Amino acid sequence: MGIAFDFAQDRPEHINEILNGLDRYNPETTTVFQDYVTQQCEDRTYDCYANLALLKLYQFNPHLTRDETTTNILVKALTVFPSPDFSLCLHLLPPHILHPSSTSSSLPAAGDAPLSEAVQKLTTLNTLLSQADYRGFWNTLDSDDLYADLVADVNGFEELMRVRIAVTAGQSCREVDRRVLESWLQLHGQEFERFILEICGWGLDETTGGPGGVVLIPVNKENEAKETVVRENVKFDQFSRIVKRAYEQPA
Amino acid sequence: MALYQRAPYSTADAQQLMEDESDQEEEALVNDYKEQVQFDDGMSDLAQVTSGGGGVQDMQAQLAAAATPLEYQATLETKFASYDNYCSLFHYILNSDGPVDLEVPSYYWAWDVIDEFIYQFESFCRYRNRVARTSPTDDEAQVLRDNPNTWGCYSVLNVLYSLIQRSQINEQLAVMKRNEDPMSVAGEYGTRPLYRMLGYFSIIGLLRVHCLLGDFSLALKTLDDIELNKKAMFARVMAAHFTTYYYVGFSYMMMRRYADAIRMFSHILVYVSRTKNFQKNAQYDSITKKNDQMYALIAICVAFNPTKLDDTIHTALREKYGDQLTRLQRGGPDALPLFEELFRSACPKFISPTPPDFDNPEINVDPVDHHLAIFMEEVKNTMWSPTVKSYLKLYATMDLKKLAGFLEVEPEKLRGWLLVNKQRSRQVRWNEGGLLDGDVVNTNDLDYAMQGDLIHISEAKVGRRLVDWYLRNLARTY
Repeated sequence: MGIAFDFAQDRPEHINEILNGLDRYNPETTTVFQDYVTQQCEDRTYDCYANLALLKLYQFNPHLTRDETTTNILVKALTVFPSPDFSLCLHLLPPHILHPSSTSSSLPAAGDAPLSEAVQKLTTLNTLLSQADYRGFWNTLDSDDLYADLVADVNGFEELMRVRIAVTAGQSCREVDRRVLESWLQLHGQEFERFILEICGWGLDETTGGPGGVVLIPVNKENEAKETVVRENVKFDQFSRIVKRAYEQPA
Repeated sequence: MALYQRAPYSTADAQQLMEDESDQEEEALVNDYKEQVQFDDGMSDLAQVTSGGGGVQDMQAQLAAAATPLEYQATLETKFASYDNYCSLFHYILNSDGPVDLEVPSYYWAWDVIDEFIYQFESFCRYRNRVARTSPTDDEAQVLRDNPNTWGCYSVLNVLYSLIQRSQINEQLAVMKRNEDPMSVAGEYGTRPLYRMLGYFSIIGLLRVHCLLGDFSLALKTLDDIELNKKAMFARVMAAHFTTYYYVGFSYMMMRRYADAIRMFSHILVYVSRTKNFQKNAQYDSITKKNDQMYALIAICVAFNPTKLDDTIHTALREKYGDQLTRLQRGGPDALPLFEELFRSACPKFISPTPPDFDNPEINVDPVDHHLAIFMEEVKNTMWSPTVKSYLKLYATMDLKKLAGFLEVEPEKLRGWLLVNKQRSRQVRWNEGGLLDGDVVNTNDLDYAMQGDLIHISEAKVGRRLVDWYLRNLARTY
């Protein structure tokens, strides 16, 4: 079953109304969307389509921009990697945020040097995640207090990231060396075991593999890698012209 | 909103624009309409705007001008005047007492006017941004600075949304989908061809504007009520048909739905190649450039998402971008400049919705650079996928450390590449419903799973395709 990009399960009715009407351009709805972002951060829901609408309002009305909300939206987008959401958000940010000129830091008029720095920090994280360098992601996250500040508003950020990383691991692997997975998830010892056994429902075999054993991931649709033969799908429509010709030119 | 504001100097330039219209045929049309059409009282409102001469001729000139490109070297004054011309025209169409009776110059007029309106908006925004970047102290910059609302984003969107709402076109299209009579919901305005066509093409116009502003999901959402097929209304105007598919395909590409993007580009390019003999030359020339751009975009999408293309497209792509395509498909750092070059040559001319900052010229980045940079991030993240795939194709099982040795990279790095390639092979692909709908499918013929350091590789084999061959030979026997 597919899920449309603009669909969000937990979207309240009043947000839905704004999104489907012209009020999505009304600067007065900015606060409504901002509150909605705060709510998403608190109760771990996510609505990219609504967040993009808010970024669009900021794009049209730069004076309304709230840096904190912008970064919160980006952090929320990180939690659904490897989807394109993070990039889609970047596309709506003012171009100079991503392209700081050498003088911008000495320019108080630009006024958004902190935002620019924050966005670049988050972009670094996004790049590491997109390149599946999960160890690098955790190391970078721990390397600077600014990161902690940025993700502070997003309730359960680390756990959301772990679940997401586990999902991508489950896609590609049937067995993973425990030490590798530990570094991907930044979890060790009992915490690690609890996570993979209880939350992921995976197994642990301590007898094989290197020290610590291997984590067993049950077969799913993505990691079975089965041979398939794609057969041609023939539709009657393809023959409609032939059939028509047969009637037009009786032998 | 700025739609209702009018600058004082519209007359002289409107006159000048009119004189640009020396085309014999349109002159004849104007005369023709002069005899036929009697304007009602709604004109008195407009007469104040175009304060010169007889109303009828002015109106026709205004209609014709609205659908005619400005001269390449048009001055800033002409651009401002053109904006005012659009404002007064749309104001008249939208805000008179009840629907207005206008005989439009041609069937294509509604498309041409929306197309030209957005084109002028686009080029004005780009021009303004360029002036702010390169010569922020010029007189022109001062004029631009003093008129921040001219060609404002809100007023352009306001026009398009108003035309859509007045004509009830979305309601009409929704009803048509259910095979019911659109006139039942069209209302006083929407029953008239003028409003219907303007409303319809405004939807396509919105698609384009959203795309130019970098809002790709909203661009696709805009087309919810339009069914993309040859029976669609836009298919009757070649340029509209073409534009629609270009922007839909591009938006899909930016959402990383490469299979859908390829489907869109292929559809329209096949259509163009089959109909090019019937196209009038002038019309065909105008789409040649966009045609090449779409081939470039297909080349990019195919590099991301190797797939079997339609024969016609494949041959043409080899002809136009043979070398480049091979290099793109090989991936790696060598391909990066090529991705950049092709993207730059084929992307829409992105704009920024707000006036630039004339006081800080260095922070006015060209929006094209902005979107390109974001796109290139994704290219960089996935640039090793072709390398990985080319090796995996050769084996049924493979040891990760051994493969890392072949590729001369750290095993953990390779593990990352394998994860990335796997993630990117899962793509959302449209199946039914709105353009934003879709199912996650495996778009790659190569699949694999890691068991510790052992990579199990499987391939999806494609069975023989017989229908095309059968149909071709059958056609020959007739």
